[in-house]
Amino acid sequence: MLVSAAALVLASGAFTAYTWLTFRAAMVEQLSVQARIIAFNSASALLFNDPVSAQKTLGALGASPSIVDAAIYDNGGGVFARYWRGRKSLIKAFPQISKSQTEAHWYTHGELSLARRIEPQGKPLGVVLIRCELGELTTRLEGYAAITAAVLAACLGAAVLISAGVHRSVSVPVIRLAETARLVSRDKNYSLRAAATGSRDELDFLIQSFNGMLEEIQQRDASLQKAHDELERRVEERTGLLHAANKELEAFSYSVSHDLRAPLRHISGFSKILAEENRDQLNADGRHYLARIEEGARNMGRLVDDLLSMGRISRQEVVRRPADLNLLWQEAWERLQPEFEGRKIEWRIGALPAAECDPGLIKLVFTNLLSNAVKYTRRRECAVIEAGQITVDGEDVIFVRDNGAGFDQKYAHKLFGVFQRLHREEDFEGAGVGLATVQRIIHKHGGRIWAEGKVECGAAFFFTLVPRKPSRPKPANSVSS
Amino acid sequence: MTRSTFPFRSLLGISAVLVLSISAVLAHASSPNEYDVKAAYLYNFGLFVQWPAAPEPDAAFTICVFGVDPFGKVLDRTLAGQSIGSQSTIPRRISNPQDALGCRILFVSSSEENNVKQFLSSLGKTAVLTVSDMPQFLDRGGMIQFMVVNNRVRFEVNLAAARRAGLTLSSQLVKLAVTVETSLPPEK
Ligand SMILES: Nc1ncnc2c1ncn2[C@@H]1O[C@H](COP(=O)(O)OP(=O)(O)O)[C@@H](O)[C@H]1O
Ligand SMILES: [Mg+2]
Repeated sequence: MLVSAAALVLASGAFTAYTWLTFRAAMVEQLSVQARIIAFNSASALLFNDPVSAQKTLGALGASPSIVDAAIYDNGGGVFARYWRGRKSLIKAFPQISKSQTEAHWYTHGELSLARRIEPQGKPLGVVLIRCELGELTTRLEGYAAITAAVLAACLGAAVLISAGVHRSVSVPVIRLAETARLVSRDKNYSLRAAATGSRDELDFLIQSFNGMLEEIQQRDASLQKAHDELERRVEERTGLLHAANKELEAFSYSVSHDLRAPLRHISGFSKILAEENRDQLNADGRHYLARIEEGARNMGRLVDDLLSMGRISRQEVVRRPADLNLLWQEAWERLQPEFEGRKIEWRIGALPAAECDPGLIKLVFTNLLSNAVKYTRRRECAVIEAGQITVDGEDVIFVRDNGAGFDQKYAHKLFGVFQRLHREEDFEGAGVGLATVQRIIHKHGGRIWAEGKVECGAAFFFTLVPRKPSRPKPANSVSS
Repeated sequence: MTRSTFPFRSLLGISAVLVLSISAVLAHASSPNEYDVKAAYLYNFGLFVQWPAAPEPDAAFTICVFGVDPFGKVLDRTLAGQSIGSQSTIPRRISNPQDALGCRILFVSSSEENNVKQFLSSLGKTAVLTVSDMPQFLDRGGMIQFMVVNNRVRFEVNLAAARRAGLTLSSQLVKLAVTVETSLPPEK
């Protein structure tokens, strides 16, 4: 804006100056032509000493209103003839023209004077002097200046209007668009829209496209959210159903287990009475069968007990408090001691941490894992049982490892199901409820449990007691249940 | 042009007037003779006439006086060192009308007034500019006639006579003439 105004002012200044110079040059040229004509036409008058004729010749200058006065001087310097307009001519002095010049001009306060030698065929006869006022030039120049100023003002006005128009129709919408884009990216609010310009130009098209893009994003967001919500809802629904089914199943199995106890007691009670009171009436086979019945009843009692305890644990709330895991391990170990009395076992027990947990339940975990380790190393000449803590990807992981019968890693995930067993009853007795109970306890703590094993090369069980931090990526090497 | 103060200017004016009046008085004493002026004019006429091409380019431009010479040495002085075009001017006095053929300008002296008519018609269409100060010179077939008006030497011209001789007088000259005759005198 400022630059264009300066340029305009400069241009008009240059134009005016150029006009002024051009006009002056034109004025001089015009005067020179007139002087030539006068010189030509007055030569004879000078030669024949006829001032009246010379006067007539000068009188022709009356056609030029700007010429103030004129004179013809003879060679002696005297005024031969003169012409003036309006006031009396002031011409007195003989104009000074240097020898080499035939013509000279000069400016004096608002007047231009031009002198020219009269010398036809090289014979000097005199000098003609013409004076004209520059009033016309000044008037014309003023006219030009006025026009230039008007043009300048008009141009500036137009420039201001145009720039204001550009500002209104381009800058403002662009700034608004940028502001909207900034807000959208800052607040992630895709419901914002850039204001339309109302005109049907590229800018409006840009704004429409931008808004269209926002619309698209918003729609996708909405449908994504909808799909997500739907999924969530379905998961919740299924989970709810699952929970309900689980609860039902547990309640059912609990009541069944509970109800099984009475008839079971009858079976074992009466088979005992039978064995004691009617022993003599029975032959060897009968006594054998009776013993099998008693054993079956005992197993079944244990199974019922396990199921009942698992049901109890399922319903039990986890009450966390600070506990020393070394102590819990110790207590579990002492309780199971009768089971491995007399066996040769190498214990490698590392330091276990203190943890916020339900001590009773965690002791049950240790009891179960330790009992399995002892059971499945039974055939080992030299059993090795380890326990300790390791750190995997920043997580505290507690493990129990043995060098016993092991299992096929393919079925590692199956171990934790109720009644799921990888060994035959004849090889290793058991009901398949222990690890299921352990998994429930760990899950109730928010932890995870998994197993690693190899047939005849031992097994290892790992668990954590706190939920994994969500930001942490799932480690590739760890096996989750 | 330098600007001078007012008193200085008026002083200059007064002194100029004084000088002019003194010189006028002096000039009257040795005032240029009427024939000094006429001699100069004779030469000047040569500048304002379109001459037919000279037979020989470097021949002299001859200004002749026919009859009793009223100029004397003045004419010789006036023409000395002068030229018209590329031709240098020389004076010549003739007494025989036949000699007029070699002249460019011919001044006919008043002494020849009685037989001027025959003389002029004998020139025929010869390209000679005839000048005289005798009365009725134009009426008798002459081209330029001197006269004195208000103490100034002026002249009259007869364009028809000049044209018959194949001469064209410049408008610059014609405009200075007191009267301009455009017809030939009737033949008698
Ligand atoms: N330490 C171990 N070594 C090898 N196999 C094991 C070990 N612990 C558990 N198992 C396998 O997991 C199955 C389930 O264990 P569990 O639920 O405790 O049942 P149970 O001990 O009553 O058989 C076992 O039948 C066995 O096949
Ligand atoms: Mg077990």
